[in-house]
Amino acid sequence: MAKILIPTPLRQYAEKNNSVDVSGATVGEALASLTTQFPDLRKNLFNDEGKLRSFVNVYVNDEDIRYLQKDATAIADGDIISIVPSIAGGLC
Amino acid sequence: MIRVHPEPWATMVAHAEATFPNECCGAMLGTADGDDKTVTFALPLENAYTGGQEDRYEIRPEDLLRVEREARQRGLDVIGIFHSHPDCDAYFSKTDLENSCPWYSFIVLSIQKGKFHHANSWLPNAEQTKAEQEPLEY
Repeated sequence: MAKILIPTPLRQYAEKNNSVDVSGATVGEALASLTTQFPDLRKNLFNDEGKLRSFVNVYVNDEDIRYLQKDATAIADGDIISIVPSIAGGLC
Repeated sequence: MIRVHPEPWATMVAHAEATFPNECCGAMLGTADGDDKTVTFALPLENAYTGGQEDRYEIRPEDLLRVEREARQRGLDVIGIFHSHPDCDAYFSKTDLENSCPWYSFIVLSIQKGKFHHANSWLPNAEQTKAEQEPLEY
């Protein structure tokens, strides 16, 4: 079983858990397991079309899944999945 | 309401002034009780934007991953992100909004001629279409 670390502001939607054990063989299945357990997380992570919001990055251990197989990235027992936002800006 | 303790506030201002005329960025750690947030530790981060940094900043996701780990180790929460607007007011710009995340408070520090001038805190929405000003105390 893998574990997803929940960022602080999202813990209110996950019964205040800072991590959640998830089932599934891929990142996509693990995220589905997470949002099945805590449906209120869905709108925070996914847009209306069911795609990860543009500012949401997912890491398996230290690897960004965009550079692996994205949602199809395989996960193994003991893997740590992190949810990390993209942040940038500027004064213009 | 977001309150920043003196020590992290000094860290934030010093980072913003030191990077002038470029934009700075960093993370704020602390505690949150609903909408009542207290920042007790500030962590300056490298501006990773590869073009002109006088009007842009970018935080590497891997740096935020490190911030999240550091917060857990310290028993703190990631409360928000700070960045500076050199020679410009502390508003939340279109670029700020379009590259924001609704999970955090965003403090913008206005640095005028190299010195801190004023600051505001902003709460962007999930659609990245508007940001509400949040009372800030420092």
